[in-house]
Amino acid sequence: MTTSLPASPGHGHTGESHQNHTLTGFIIFLCSESVIFLAFFSGFALLKTSALNWLPPGVEGLEWRMPLINTVVLVSSSGTIWLAEILKARGQLWGFRSLWLLTMALGAYFLYGQAVEWSGLSFGLTSGVFGGTFYLLTGFHGLHVATGVLLMGLMLVKSFIPGNYLKGEEGVQATSLFWHFVDVIWIILFVLIYVWQRH
Amino acid sequence: MTSATFPASEPKPSWTRYFSFNTDAKVIGIQYIVLSFFYFLIGGLLAMIIRGELITPAADLVDRTVYNGIYTMHGTIMLFLFIFPVLNGLNNLLIPTMIGAPDMAFPRLNAVAFWLVPIFGTLLIASFFVPGGPAYSGWWSYPPVSIQNPLGHLVSGQGLWLTAVALSGVSSIMGAVNFVTTIIRMRAPGMSWFRMPVFCWTALAAQSLQLIGLPALTGGAAMLLFDLVAGTSFYRPEGGGDPVLYQHFFWFYSHPAVYVIILPVFGVFSELFPVYSRKPLFGYVYVALASFIIVGLGLVVWVHHMFPSGVAQWMRNLFMVTTMLIAVPTGVKVFAWLGTLWRGKLRLTTPMLFCLGGLFNFVFAGITGIMLATVPVDIHVSNTYFVVGHFHYVIYGAAVMGVFAAVYHWFPKFTGRMPYEGLGKLHVLLTFVGANLNFLPMHPLGLMGMPRRVSSYDPEFAFWNVLASLGAFLLGVSIIPFLLNMVSSWVRGPKATHNPWNAIGLEWLLPSPPPEDNFGEHVPIVISRPYGYGTDQPLVENQEAIEHQLILKEASA
Amino acid sequence: MTSSSPRLRPLPLLGLGLWVGLLVLISIWMSHQAYRWLPVQASTAAPLVDGLFSFETGVGTFVFLGVISVMAWVVLMHRAEKYDESDAEPIEGNTRLEVIWTAIPLVLVMAIAAYSIRVNTTLGVLGPMEHIHLHDPVEQQGGYPGDRLPAETVEVIARQWSWEFRYPDAGVSSTELHLAFNQPVTFRLVSDDVIHGFYIPAFRLKQDVIPGTAIDFNLTPTREGRYRLRDSQFSGTWFAANQADVVVETDDAHAAWLKQAAAQPLQPGISDAVEEYATRGRKANPGWATVPPAPPPQVNVPGSNRLPHDA
Repeated sequence: MTTSLPASPGHGHTGESHQNHTLTGFIIFLCSESVIFLAFFSGFALLKTSALNWLPPGVEGLEWRMPLINTVVLVSSSGTIWLAEILKARGQLWGFRSLWLLTMALGAYFLYGQAVEWSGLSFGLTSGVFGGTFYLLTGFHGLHVATGVLLMGLMLVKSFIPGNYLKGEEGVQATSLFWHFVDVIWIILFVLIYVWQRH
Repeated sequence: MTSATFPASEPKPSWTRYFSFNTDAKVIGIQYIVLSFFYFLIGGLLAMIIRGELITPAADLVDRTVYNGIYTMHGTIMLFLFIFPVLNGLNNLLIPTMIGAPDMAFPRLNAVAFWLVPIFGTLLIASFFVPGGPAYSGWWSYPPVSIQNPLGHLVSGQGLWLTAVALSGVSSIMGAVNFVTTIIRMRAPGMSWFRMPVFCWTALAAQSLQLIGLPALTGGAAMLLFDLVAGTSFYRPEGGGDPVLYQHFFWFYSHPAVYVIILPVFGVFSELFPVYSRKPLFGYVYVALASFIIVGLGLVVWVHHMFPSGVAQWMRNLFMVTTMLIAVPTGVKVFAWLGTLWRGKLRLTTPMLFCLGGLFNFVFAGITGIMLATVPVDIHVSNTYFVVGHFHYVIYGAAVMGVFAAVYHWFPKFTGRMPYEGLGKLHVLLTFVGANLNFLPMHPLGLMGMPRRVSSYDPEFAFWNVLASLGAFLLGVSIIPFLLNMVSSWVRGPKATHNPWNAIGLEWLLPSPPPEDNFGEHVPIVISRPYGYGTDQPLVENQEAIEHQLILKEASA
Repeated sequence: MTSSSPRLRPLPLLGLGLWVGLLVLISIWMSHQAYRWLPVQASTAAPLVDGLFSFETGVGTFVFLGVISVMAWVVLMHRAEKYDESDAEPIEGNTRLEVIWTAIPLVLVMAIAAYSIRVNTTLGVLGPMEHIHLHDPVEQQGGYPGDRLPAETVEVIARQWSWEFRYPDAGVSSTELHLAFNQPVTFRLVSDDVIHGFYIPAFRLKQDVIPGTAIDFNLTPTREGRYRLRDSQFSGTWFAANQADVVVETDDAHAAWLKQAAAQPLQPGISDAVEEYATRGRKANPGWATVPPAPPPQVNVPGSNRLPHDA
């Protein structure tokens, strides 16, 4: 297992310095990931519009105020992560870290809010097609929020490593892109599940 | 003025690297290809049992439950453990070398994607041994029959099937991200889009389809798994679910999946016909662009698999029209190949014969495809052996023959040995005759009304079934010269030069086999279109010097 | 770099013309042969479907033989000499040809599509579809050849693994489908368990039966005889054995059959699956787990699915 040439560890692009394709790859991955949400959304819409009895017996509808607060929290966290990136670009690492941590806290609160909502619901995963799609959509999204918070944690730790950003900051950019993605998905989800409530 | 220099001597890499977590795309490529042929043999064995059962009308060879499990796993293994991995293997070998990159964009991700294959492959094979046996509802796994779970266990063959398919999806998406990023970002200097070989165009097109289509299958399959093990009702009518919804999710991916299979084969034909006709590819730009028209149209035809499922008439007409349209860019490619062959100087080597045979079978399959696209005919023949015949003509008759062509053609480059031509030609002959004998009789069977997936049939169908089974056994035999050839040439075949076929392409400017980082830092600058046969134009700057170096090295070896 | 098309000399042109003429003749012949590959025509749909298939066979034969002719020609006439390693002419393309071989296939497939849409509309077999227990708006009106209203309604219940046919007007049920010659009939297709396929090859008609829905399906049989009804959508272990017979008889014979059937007491109908399941435990290799078959439907007339059938 030899590398015959000095310098480049095998990643190189001739003539140019070591190029990092992480962001390109990550964007491509996100485009693909969005399709699975699209599939769940269209399944939800199709099942809802063709259902004979959409809501399970005893369920009148979904409470939307708490989820609305959660939505505001999540959307704000997109704002804070954006601000964090601006501060980082200006070299204010501690400002970046604080706003980054704030974003994580907002994300964690969203998850907490989701758990509270789930525990207060009178229907379960197996309560017909309504229960199934509700928990599938919110659960899959919640999984992405949790992943985002974890990724942010990882980036936060790495921000303390000296010289971490010399080779570029694609990790931070990718994580931030992921977070915005998770936010947009939630907005669509919120409209579909909580706003579009009709019998 | 630097000419390419290669290290004076490299320690010969150990064969054990093929069994390790190695990040070199060329090693991963071989791993994919060899592993997939291992599963090809298992899937083929299952096919022999199927045809053994069907050589007589009664269900007298194996129990019906066993037959259903076997035909389900035959399809599943051939698709997820053979054809998709072997094509990824070709991608790994060919994409970096054809575009002058040292490796894939994400080498470790590449290795992870490969190692997922033996993992989900083991899961799938293991499903034969769980109580209740493997999944038994066809490779489609339509609910409600697929979620009936007779034993009611949490771990069932169908559950393992769904898990394996989900992992396969993860592996494929990893690969797709890698291949697409590599093609977009790592081409050699001077290699603009329209100086890129067609194989890379079709790979880009195919992998784009994977990225767009697979998540829909994953989503639909996840919901099926929930229905199976968690008591949800996404597809259960009694809970308000819709079984046909699954079919939409399934086919939204699985139709483009067939283009994922055939597009790289189109790429192989487009690469090989010029070499073995000594002529440029006719209409290279149109061939390249047609790949993406196929991608676009391929995403909007899926309902043609569901014509009898109860979808509305307007939907059937719409998808019939979109399906017919795909014939046009496909025809552009077929005519381009004919134009390449015309007035060429043909060399009927093994790879060329596989391509010619594959083209022959593909045109036949295309015609039955047009028949299947028209709703009134499809209503009669859907879910019959007519469809089984059609898709086996495409998959075995065209795609597998294309894969064999690629293996023989690039074998010298990546192993450094020449394959034996005599065994190769025997392989072509047995394959071509066997495939036609096996799959042509399926068409009258379907027209007469024999459904597919049956473990027994009415006696009037016996004659064509006997012929089909004989063809299948011949196909089984045809693998023998292939395996013999591969093993013995790799171990003790004549050494290959850097360009035994006198072909034009960046990969042929590398030694056989190439060093770990291919061109490394000394990537040649591309100065002309590909397939410049007869133009006397060099492909890259300083081509003569590069060739000279290679020849010197071979002479001193 | 493109080359202009070769100068067209009279003799090769004549040869080409003769060859094309030969291909046309073979294609026409094949289009007639196509009818022989299909079962007897036993419904109003059959001639329409067969006509379309025959047309496609003719066109397809011509295209296939055309391409193969080119391939055969080049393999025979354009081979490299034994030790000739040189290149051929560097012909890179021809825009005019590209346009021609894009436009002609486009026109051709659109013509076939238009023909098919016409046939599809004439067939008009799919009737209203509704979810059970609720009257939803009608999805689509079916049309009937000859503008006649359906004469009979038959409810078809598909199960794992049997077919039950109920004649609500006559109060009759059977596991053998009886239809009156030349009389339109509407089927109401329901499934008790999984998706099945209602497929009668002699009629050229097929419709999946989806649990949770009732699908209306119309046809008119046009030939007396006994035909096979086969399950065409994989439905589990005894899928292949889920076959019933369809008897098309004269109006009078049909009325007589219904009358005598109504007088029969209910008895177990045909289910090959039930028979096989009973002997399964005694086999040396009983195979893997299976859903047990539903009990055979209780019907007035079981009929038979072992008699010789026409298609």
